Amino acid sequence: MTNADNKSIIVAIDVDKIYPNGCHALKKVSLTVEKGEVVVIIGPSGSGKSTFLRTLNQLETISSGSIVVDGFDLNSKHTNINRVREKVGMVFQSFNLFPHKTALGNVMLSPRKVLKKPEQQAEEEGRELLYKVGLADRMDNFPSHLSGGQQQRVAIARALAMMPDIMLFDEPTSALDPEMVGEVLDVMKTLAADGMTMVVVTHEMGFAREVADRVVFMEEGELVFEEQPDRFFSSSNSRLQRFLGQVL
Amino acid sequence: MQTQHNQLFWKAVFILIMLCLGVGIYVSSKAIDYTWRWERIPQYLISIEPLEIRAPFDGSVSQVDEKRHRITLDSDYGDDPFVVENFDDLHVSEGDIVFEGDIIARQEHWNLGPLSWGLIMTLKISAVSLVFAMIIGLFVGLARLSSNPALRYLSVTYIELIRGTPLLVQIFIFYFFIGTVLDLDRFTAGVAALAVFTGAYIAEIVRSGIQSINPGQMEAARSLGMNYVQAMIYVILPQAFKRTLPPLAGQFINLIKDSSLVSVISITDLTKAGREVVSSTFAPFEVWFAVALLYLVLTGALSWAIQKLEKRLAASD
Repeated sequence: MTNADNKSIIVAIDVDKIYPNGCHALKKVSLTVEKGEVVVIIGPSGSGKSTFLRTLNQLETISSGSIVVDGFDLNSKHTNINRVREKVGMVFQSFNLFPHKTALGNVMLSPRKVLKKPEQQAEEEGRELLYKVGLADRMDNFPSHLSGGQQQRVAIARALAMMPDIMLFDEPTSALDPEMVGEVLDVMKTLAADGMTMVVVTHEMGFAREVADRVVFMEEGELVFEEQPDRFFSSSNSRLQRFLGQVL
Repeated sequence: MQTQHNQLFWKAVFILIMLCLGVGIYVSSKAIDYTWRWERIPQYLISIEPLEIRAPFDGSVSQVDEKRHRITLDSDYGDDPFVVENFDDLHVSEGDIVFEGDIIARQEHWNLGPLSWGLIMTLKISAVSLVFAMIIGLFVGLARLSSNPALRYLSVTYIELIRGTPLLVQIFIFYFFIGTVLDLDRFTAGVAALAVFTGAYIAEIVRSGIQSINPGQMEAARSLGMNYVQAMIYVILPQAFKRTLPPLAGQFINLIKDSSLVSVISITDLTKAGREVVSSTFAPFEVWFAVALLYLVLTGALSWAIQKLEKRLAASD
């Protein structure tokens, strides 16, 4: 890590993303995340917050700027992106569980195939993770037999099975029925309390207020404003005020 | 209740139509004075031939064990005893003196007839072509989806060339042109033509199967650190395979039926065997019905096996 101090685990500088069709999705976005920090990104839909999150593990490539994640320079040709992704877990809005595998099978797959862990060890760790997210009795169920909240908790366990240094959450509760939002947020809170570095794109203002170390507001591809939660929500920034007025 | 009555009625209609068809075939064969000789067919499937076992030397029968179907023959000149097992007809009894060349027992020998050999050849050629067609189809299907233009155009060209020309013509080209250049035997040329032909169709099935999988699956797999190949093998292809099983089954069945065309390059498959048997029996109706039935057994078994597999894979639904 060449950047300022060794505590910064994500350093994104002047990230620009222009789609081939000319859509300017990210405009000079810079963000630094410290180790163990929980950063929540909010903003209206189409503001580029999901796009930005996806550039952090290169599910989206960037047009210019630089991103250093966990000591890996994502622009460098020598960086093996698969090694970066092992260390950066991601949870999707639509869960994206593997439908042909059981809950335990989903959690075990990558440790087995990527980290080449022995079957028994992968299974033990998988069971422990599923137990942690409250799914001890659902290990052998296929995703189609799980509720949305349960599926999302399996997805979190699946990402954790790779023992990541960073977890990215892309609107993890947006596809859930309201009564299931709580169980997923609870798992995320526990994770934050355990000291996991997290970047969360969400519309859950309560979660942002309660768990975040820092809240970031994005609009039209720009990072408009970042602040600690208490000061963030009482800020007088006009663009932020307009957005908060619409959602709260 | 009303609907149940209707169901019964229409089932009866179905049976009636089938009966009419049967009667129609019988009546029309009567009209052309055809004499059915079904009894001539079985010998072309399987025949029993008696095999005589003769004494290899002068000697005496020292032991007859009827229960275990075993005779022991001792030599007069100190040769090793001769043992016969699994005979069906006994011609000697214990203590008999035999001379070299005497018949001591008879075995019933089962011989496969030409139709059975044809069936085996059809099965063999279909199975080998199927394996290669799957491999070709998988790789061409993946190439078709590649971001590399060379791979993409190559696969499109291959698919369009093969799908746009008749299989019969392809078999001739493989046998007479490629076969001559590369010095291929008939079987290899036939298998190559069938595999290349079926591969083009399987490639399209594979492509559609992969495209039908939600892109989120690939993203999830990649975000867990898997590379493209691992994501394909462990996440995308198993799902695509399950989804494309019905069209794949159709393609496999087509392959078995298409294999009848290799008879034009003198491979004695079921169809060519049928033609040969017709020329020796002069019973074309029976032979071709029998051949059709044998094809039906093959395709039926395959379609049954794939249905079983489909049911097993449905566990995760």
